Amino acid sequence: MLRKKKECIAMLLAGGQGSRLKALTKNVAKPAVSFGGKYRIIDFPLSNCSNSHIDTVGVLTQYKPLILNAYIGTGRAWDLDSSDGGVFILPPYATESGAEWYRGTADAIYQNISFMDMYDSEYVLILSGDQLYRMDYRKMLRNHKEKGAEVSVSVMRVDWEDASRFGIITADGDGRIRKFTEKPKEPDSNLASMGIYIFNKDLLKKALIEDSEDPESEHDFGKNIIPKLLDEGNRLYCYEFSGVWKDIGTIDSYYETDMALLEDEPLFDLYSENFPMMSNSNIHPPQIIGPTGSVERCIVGNGARIFGTAIHSIISVDSYISKGAYVKDSIILPGARILKGARVVRAIIGENAVVTADSEFGCEDPDSEIAVMPGNDNVLVSIVGGGD
Amino acid sequence: MDRVIGLISANYDTPRLGELTQERTVASLPFGSRYRLIDFPLSNMINSGITTVGIITPYKYRSIIDHLGAGGDWSLDRRSGGLFILPGSIYGIKNAESKFLLRDISQNVIYFNRSPAPYIIITCANTICNVDYADMVESHIASGADITLAYSVATENNQNLTGIKVENGTVKGVTRGVNEGQEAFADTFIISRSLLLKIIEWYKAIDYLDFFEVLEEDFDKMDVRLYKFEGYVRSIATVSEYFRYSMELLNPLNFNELFTMGDLIRTKIQDAPPAKYTASAKVNNALIPAGCVIEGNVQDSILFRGVMVKKGAHIKNSIIMQACVIEEDAVIENAIIDRSNVITAGTVIKGTADSAYVQEKLGS
Repeated sequence: MLRKKKECIAMLLAGGQGSRLKALTKNVAKPAVSFGGKYRIIDFPLSNCSNSHIDTVGVLTQYKPLILNAYIGTGRAWDLDSSDGGVFILPPYATESGAEWYRGTADAIYQNISFMDMYDSEYVLILSGDQLYRMDYRKMLRNHKEKGAEVSVSVMRVDWEDASRFGIITADGDGRIRKFTEKPKEPDSNLASMGIYIFNKDLLKKALIEDSEDPESEHDFGKNIIPKLLDEGNRLYCYEFSGVWKDIGTIDSYYETDMALLEDEPLFDLYSENFPMMSNSNIHPPQIIGPTGSVERCIVGNGARIFGTAIHSIISVDSYISKGAYVKDSIILPGARILKGARVVRAIIGENAVVTADSEFGCEDPDSEIAVMPGNDNVLVSIVGGGD
Repeated sequence: MDRVIGLISANYDTPRLGELTQERTVASLPFGSRYRLIDFPLSNMINSGITTVGIITPYKYRSIIDHLGAGGDWSLDRRSGGLFILPGSIYGIKNAESKFLLRDISQNVIYFNRSPAPYIIITCANTICNVDYADMVESHIASGADITLAYSVATENNQNLTGIKVENGTVKGVTRGVNEGQEAFADTFIISRSLLLKIIEWYKAIDYLDFFEVLEEDFDKMDVRLYKFEGYVRSIATVSEYFRYSMELLNPLNFNELFTMGDLIRTKIQDAPPAKYTASAKVNNALIPAGCVIEGNVQDSILFRGVMVKKGAHIKNSIIMQACVIEEDAVIENAIIDRSNVITAGTVIKGTADSAYVQEKLGS
């Protein structure tokens, strides 16, 4: 197929189950988990791509992809439905030699080398689908070219005490990476890898092919590909990102990151217009705050109907809080219903879940675990019809 | 519904909407927090399964084209059928308020000629309702009528609505004005393509008249039937109606009839972030869309996208349109604030409950 040659395409890893998000990923892949009242986590990397003028994105899916696929649709919501690019859902597929699941992040890309060849870009940007951040990938690419790098790893400074939770990078003054240690016990640097890479495509291809033939490999970028390329003496550079970056991997980090949006001046600004975060879930009527309703320190999505009390909570699109119901310090996901007299405190109520009348869910105690009510299976109802 | 194409007539004005339609058309008048009037007929068409819709555009068409784009948000950016922008005629002064000017229809006869669909449903831009036209089409075909008019039962005496003279179940003509409880024309009718083409041919010489004026002498010879629209149906012709019908949406019964019980009313997708309410916000009985940031007090009011209500501001019984900023301690009561206005700190704007004060649209 003859196509216009691209400078850089993106491969977005969206196949993970996100088992640490427990009940939240019962029906959906981690990147499709609802966030911030109207978004899904994958909106952030997709919006970043769109805002960075990267118009070709392969999305690697595997775990419960139904909602994710429906949500991505044609990519139109992120202006990614261009005629010579677009968003491509890339699930595992069968070949003459059989069929296999993706065995790791690197294997997922390896199995789609032919997709990358189709566009034959100079560079490939590797992204994960489970992070909240706003990043202009063009700046990272510029840095990559200026340094003459073969691989760039986006990094962020973290607190020293947290450093042993990350993949830690040791670099020289020019940013050239000298050492990469996954979760070091005694870190000698506090530069953490964000799991965002730019590769020269030819080197990536070679590394992936070699990795696929290595029986010892776990086929993981952080564990295998990056350390091996480093050992071989390739030019790996880091690109230091400054801004807000949150990995939304656990219930606690999900809750904290989401609730941080309620601050008067949140670190992550959803309202910025020049690098907007886009989504595909907005065909709802306006929110109605009824005569018996009250809302304080909340973020509320369209289609929400509030006839009870909502304090310091995220009330997502299409949800319903009945008269006499009380919601505090909680996240109500799309389509959830809190019925009459129910009390929800420090809880996450899954998509389309119902909190029955006069029941209690969650616990005031600030040290208690966040209570999570799983969503209902028919989540599709709330997202289909986004204009396509 | 592949046997029906739609036509929305939007080439008319009403001076009684005053400043509200100074720089926009009736069709693009904002309504219900996030919609424009044309969203209602257009969504009804799509939700009924009609995939070919022509819109006769008015003279001041910038705002309407800006809103519609290529029709993608209504799933009308299609290869077969889709959205057709049809140029409206230049109307005479006498007929500026005519909703179905024959000349508008005849000038676009090519639209009807190109589609093989035997029926056409014609509606106007300012009837607010959420109905499935499919049932009306079925009733029209089953009855064998020449024309079927949709009506709703008038909820009040209203000189701006069109009444219908009915004898033995068939329509014998239309009148100006209705009384409470009478049949009010919902400005929506179904006609076969062949009859429409005949009417265009017959009355070429007087096509500067409204379709229903032209037919005045023909009701006796034709079989014109009625079809009832149930639920919330309103037609906006004046500022006072605009204000009153907007406020009616705060009643959850009306809100649900229009927005949650039927299919979704679609509109141009703006993708604003969710609305934010701070600790100082006090909101009661209000419609608020995404993109608003509320730090002050909002009561019995309707806000549009991107409105900022600063600390200590009081908004009561008012409509605040898109992108307005209501600064600290400003007081707004019984008013319509058109888009992009900044109401500076401490300003007091008050209309009366019977007559809302209208603050004109600013620039942009």
